[in-house]
Amino acid sequence: MLAKSKIILTASILAATTASAEDYTVGALFPLSGANAIYGEIFMAGADLAVEHINADGMVSGTVSIAYEDSQALPQPAMVGMTKLVNVTGVPYTLSAFTGVSKAISTLGQRNQVVVVNGGGVGPDLAELGEYFWNVIPLANLEVRALVPYAVSELALPNVALVYVDDPLGQAMEAELEAVLPEVGGELVGSYSVPTTAQQFSGIAAQIRSSDADLVYIASYGNQQVQIVKQLRDNGVDAQFASYSGYTVNDALELPESEGMLVTSQSVDFGSDNPMTQRFVEGFREKYDQEPTAYNVNYYNATMLFGILAEALEADGTEVTGETLLAKRREMESFDLVGGTVSFQDNGTLLFPIEVKRIEGGATTTISSVSFE
Amino acid sequence: MLALQLAVTGLQTGALYALTAVGFSLIFGSTRIFHFAHGATFAIAAYFFYFVFQAGFGTVPAILGASAGAIAFGLLIYWLVYVPVQRHEGSFFTVFVASFGVGIAVQNLLGMVFGRGFVTVNTSLSRSSEILPGLYVAPLAWVAIACAIVFLGALHLFLRHTHTGMALRALSDNPELVRIFGLSPQRISAIVFVIGSVLVVPAAIITSATTGLNPAIGHHVMLISLAASIVGGIGSVYGTLLAGLILGLAESMALLFVASQWTEAVTFAILFAFILIRPSGLLGRATAH
Repeated sequence: MLAKSKIILTASILAATTASAEDYTVGALFPLSGANAIYGEIFMAGADLAVEHINADGMVSGTVSIAYEDSQALPQPAMVGMTKLVNVTGVPYTLSAFTGVSKAISTLGQRNQVVVVNGGGVGPDLAELGEYFWNVIPLANLEVRALVPYAVSELALPNVALVYVDDPLGQAMEAELEAVLPEVGGELVGSYSVPTTAQQFSGIAAQIRSSDADLVYIASYGNQQVQIVKQLRDNGVDAQFASYSGYTVNDALELPESEGMLVTSQSVDFGSDNPMTQRFVEGFREKYDQEPTAYNVNYYNATMLFGILAEALEADGTEVTGETLLAKRREMESFDLVGGTVSFQDNGTLLFPIEVKRIEGGATTTISSVSFE
Repeated sequence: MLALQLAVTGLQTGALYALTAVGFSLIFGSTRIFHFAHGATFAIAAYFFYFVFQAGFGTVPAILGASAGAIAFGLLIYWLVYVPVQRHEGSFFTVFVASFGVGIAVQNLLGMVFGRGFVTVNTSLSRSSEILPGLYVAPLAWVAIACAIVFLGALHLFLRHTHTGMALRALSDNPELVRIFGLSPQRISAIVFVIGSVLVVPAAIITSATTGLNPAIGHHVMLISLAASIVGGIGSVYGTLLAGLILGLAESMALLFVASQWTEAVTFAILFAFILIRPSGLLGRATAH
């Protein structure tokens, strides 16, 4: 009788231990192959560091891990990956990137109550994808609204030509430029869309030269945006170039033809006294032997946000699901993340100030900062 | 002037398309092997050039390195993939899948070795200068056109005036007859792979300086090669040459008539038009059913 009681007691303790130590898997749909794979590596660097910190701190009872799926930065493979994450892996929370990919998978997230967090796509309509879709990156409408007044008023460059990738990001950028330029006395003198697979831009260079543009705004990403800049310069376009935060990757910054370009990106004070920022910067330098970028920050924040929400839910004794994560985010209101204490807007998007920067010697120098309410 | 500018640009693009596509067409026409990994040959040649050039060894060693890489890959894939597959009576589709798989493997290997980002060879030769009011031409445009003339001219002489060239043409007509005459179809096929691989080298080198490289560049090259081969006439080297030039010019000149996002579609519109109206291509032989 005593032996039987001991067995039951041991089994109960084991069961209780197993139940309380909950392991969580977060999904991530990043481009891991193809022309935009370089972004996948950047995004993973931030997310992996956050997982290390979450597990080292014991924020949740078990461990957190990330299940990566290859989106190739394309909607169709992303839908296959998202279906697997939702139906097979059963994740409550997924990291996403790229406007087209994020828009495609958002419907699956909404339908299955899986939180999708974007830290890389900047299409303005990403703010309208439902309550389960969150953005930890300021969207491109803010970037355009920060850059255009500066270029038109301060630099006296009113005639703008746009080269944009023919996808939701590029189309959103075109709409934003068409709306903002007239407000500040500028004009869109040429608009040239290119397919996502295009690699030849010398013909477009000839057209831009004919348009007499003062400023050429490039709204693409990955290898294509670098090819556009190089080929336009090689083919005699000497106007001022400008782009958005997608251009602030090392490949692009180090291109000799990028010298003097204007770019915008969210403002992150890496020298801040904020403990999480300091820990992130030091940890990133130690782990990757390089300086972090805003993209690294975004995916660190997106992953750390899961850790914070899951920790709070466990403390409440509530199961961690997409639905409870959403409810907890609304309840908590503000979060200490890299860059300081931040709050989500009603549309699930974080607000950051936007900096206008100039590329000089393979790095960026801030020349203006714009805050939005 | 815009039309003239686009014509010159199109000619440069067409010359590169022709060089790339003729290599594929030569291999397919002679051996009936659907060498999808031809794009990988292009990528290997380009990255070898980039690596040797960036290491500071200079242009000539870089060209030799690119050529050696392309030839070695062409021979290796022939002997280690196609010959074993064909020995086991592998179908056309089996060979295609094997080639496709090698292409993917090479893409990932290049990504692991050289990184998945954009790389380019920096040279002043890619910078255009204004030779007439509104007409900008880079020195590399002339180099591309000159390479096309020299390489394709040499190919013509080789095919028409050497015993090996004639044997190679005979292989495309009747491999059994080649064997009866005491020649080795495998040896001739290996020569075809060497020549086809060498032909992509100038295009790969010029591309590394003009449009830049990424590990996935082979797919685009292969699409253009395939389109040019069909438009030119399957297996017709001269037809493919002509088609490569036409596709390059059409892609560029299309900007005069359609929005920029449709220029690539023009290539495939031409392809579909030929498939519907003239399936045998520009200079291909009509087949009876």
